[in-house]
Amino acid sequence: MTRILWILVSLVGAAAWGVIALHRGETINAAWLVLAAVGTYLVGYRFYGRFLANRVFGLDARATPAERLSNGRDYCPTTKWVLFGHHFAAIAGAGPLVGPVLAMQFGWLPGTLWIVFGVVLGGAVQDFVILFGSMRRDGKSLGKMARDEIGPVTGLFAMVAILAIMVILLAVLALVVTNALKDSPWGIFSILCTIPIALLMGVWMRFLRPGKTIEATVAGIVLLCLALVGGRYVALSPSLAPLFTHGGLTIAWGLMVYGFIASVLPVWLLLAPRDYLSTFMKIGTIVLLAIGILIVMPPLRMPALTRFIDGTGPVFAGKLFPFAFITIACGAISGFHALVSSGTTPKMIRRERDARLIGYGGMLTESFVAIMALCAAAALDPGIYFSINAPLAALGGTVESAAAQIRQWGFTVTPEQLTALSASVGEASLLGRVGGAPSLAVGMAAIFSGVFGSHLMGLWYHFAIMFEALFILTTLDAGTRVGRFMLQDFLGHIWEPLGRTSWYPSNLLASGLITAAWGYFLVQGVLDPLGGINSLWPLFGISNQLLAAVALCVGTTLIIKAGKKRYAWVTLLPLAWLLIVTLTAGWQKIFAADPRLGFLAHARSIAEKIAAGTQDPAIGARLIWNDRLDAALAGVFMTIVVALVVASVREWTAVIRGRKPALVKETPFVESAYAN
Amino acid sequence: MRISGREGGWAGGRWEDFLCAFKRVCGMPDYAGYLRHMAERHPGTPVLNERDFFEAHVTARYANGASRCC
Repeated sequence: MTRILWILVSLVGAAAWGVIALHRGETINAAWLVLAAVGTYLVGYRFYGRFLANRVFGLDARATPAERLSNGRDYCPTTKWVLFGHHFAAIAGAGPLVGPVLAMQFGWLPGTLWIVFGVVLGGAVQDFVILFGSMRRDGKSLGKMARDEIGPVTGLFAMVAILAIMVILLAVLALVVTNALKDSPWGIFSILCTIPIALLMGVWMRFLRPGKTIEATVAGIVLLCLALVGGRYVALSPSLAPLFTHGGLTIAWGLMVYGFIASVLPVWLLLAPRDYLSTFMKIGTIVLLAIGILIVMPPLRMPALTRFIDGTGPVFAGKLFPFAFITIACGAISGFHALVSSGTTPKMIRRERDARLIGYGGMLTESFVAIMALCAAAALDPGIYFSINAPLAALGGTVESAAAQIRQWGFTVTPEQLTALSASVGEASLLGRVGGAPSLAVGMAAIFSGVFGSHLMGLWYHFAIMFEALFILTTLDAGTRVGRFMLQDFLGHIWEPLGRTSWYPSNLLASGLITAAWGYFLVQGVLDPLGGINSLWPLFGISNQLLAAVALCVGTTLIIKAGKKRYAWVTLLPLAWLLIVTLTAGWQKIFAADPRLGFLAHARSIAEKIAAGTQDPAIGARLIWNDRLDAALAGVFMTIVVALVVASVREWTAVIRGRKPALVKETPFVESAYAN
Repeated sequence: MRISGREGGWAGGRWEDFLCAFKRVCGMPDYAGYLRHMAERHPGTPVLNERDFFEAHVTARYANGASRCC
């Protein structure tokens, strides 16, 4: 019976792929993409996931850290579906929503293929192997596993990589929020309101009604909705609107001040309530979006492939290979998940065998979120898509110039359509709002309007913006904290008191340094005439994929040391692909001759303009310095990953040749008391 | 010893269990679960009150800044 069911699932999935393959050149419905993706996930989970669990990892009936070390707090055994939800909420964020939207400039096909097959063979394998490794080691972090299993220098490299990646991640996410909020009184008002709402919830849970987290969160959600509706009146009010209308630079400084203060406040006051709010919103909105797509079943207006696969696209520079695979990181494979999979989740698994659903299944679900974001963006009119995502420098400042430019790119949109769109969402202009969030919000608003009626378009647009900004701000707070702890760990080696997380001056110094680091890249991104996303998003993608490469190196080491070298290909295959993609992309970003693509070529072209007198020398000098900094950063990322891979390969050959014993540093076997 | 382990499960369809499951999904402290854990594993030892448990939980959860993804 189950066999018939699985044959059926496989056939439906294969048929959906067949429809996609045969529909080239015509408009296709989003439902086929969803069907093909879900069919592939189910087959991948049932067969490949099970192969990994049983053959490669050998999950068994041993007691998990949650059972052995149970303390009712961070180590606490949790039923698999609940933990699945928890883990999914921790890994899903802005990444899987924004990346597919940006990569849409190549058309919907490359993104779809990479998201669906990348996750089954790469992303979900990475999350699963790290979760497995950490679970067998009492919940050890990725950095500690790298140190223990490969070597101390590797561990140090991994820590430096994580810190650098964190800085770039925070800068690029802050830039996404800045671009979504600039000159938008409605957006700024509703996002600002989230701060007092979270503080109120914190005081509620700590003093007024201790521990009553659910009622505080429900109250918070109600207040958020009021703030959202209130934003519309603020935007329409001639006296209030100017107070909440700010340019990119002011917003960027505001985000820095927020990130710094938030990261030194007690966690119960701001971080915890924000986290509850954004988790609640995240799950709710994703479920709503899934239902919306199923009800509306929008046709995909974007072509399967656009002419921009040749690298001339306005959203970001670079050809389909390797940049589609860099732009879409989260959703296909994301190194950051290795931090979550070796963080809170392994301490909560109740039975070893649950790890397949949580590690492998959780990542498949995130990939599905990426597919939904992709459908929402592909359902937009291509002309509208490029009017929002191309930088203002390319579009010109008016709807007429934008429409003319978009016509040159081969898509049709009228100035009236552009004006009507921004009016319908309550914004002065949507032109050149790069970063992905605004066009995703327009796509989501169109889908929700398809369900609930179009008169609420503006409300849905700002709901989507608030939803994205809410958890990006939570990430800024949490990420600055993570960076602070890591930095304090380093600084403690220089002067012991700086390492104490209980010493306030040390906290202020470390938080200030981390905020300044991401703030620097953020401000440069805001000032960048090309919109900043063009240089920062690829750097973020490269760094995130390189972290995934680190995780896969650790994973391969665990498999080889467990005496399962014949199965090492499960991690070596995605590792090889990531190395090819990221090293090519890194090389091109540094050395490509096209000034739009290569950092150094861009610096040279600015220098030529200064020499010719067409560029202000002061601004030009800053741009040149930033190009060189970005190039150096890409170089550092590449060097670290090559060093890590070399160290790992030496360790693997030593074990395989018998020069080193194939010994894993797992916690010894204790039988579980749970019925298995 | 075999333990049934309802931890965070919602098989019984009870409202309290649903709230408990929901709290764990959102990473909120689960006081009822903590009391059950203490009663099962450490009977007789003094337990934290709800406010102290809340504070201990958030401190432990965000001790390393809480790994959040992008």
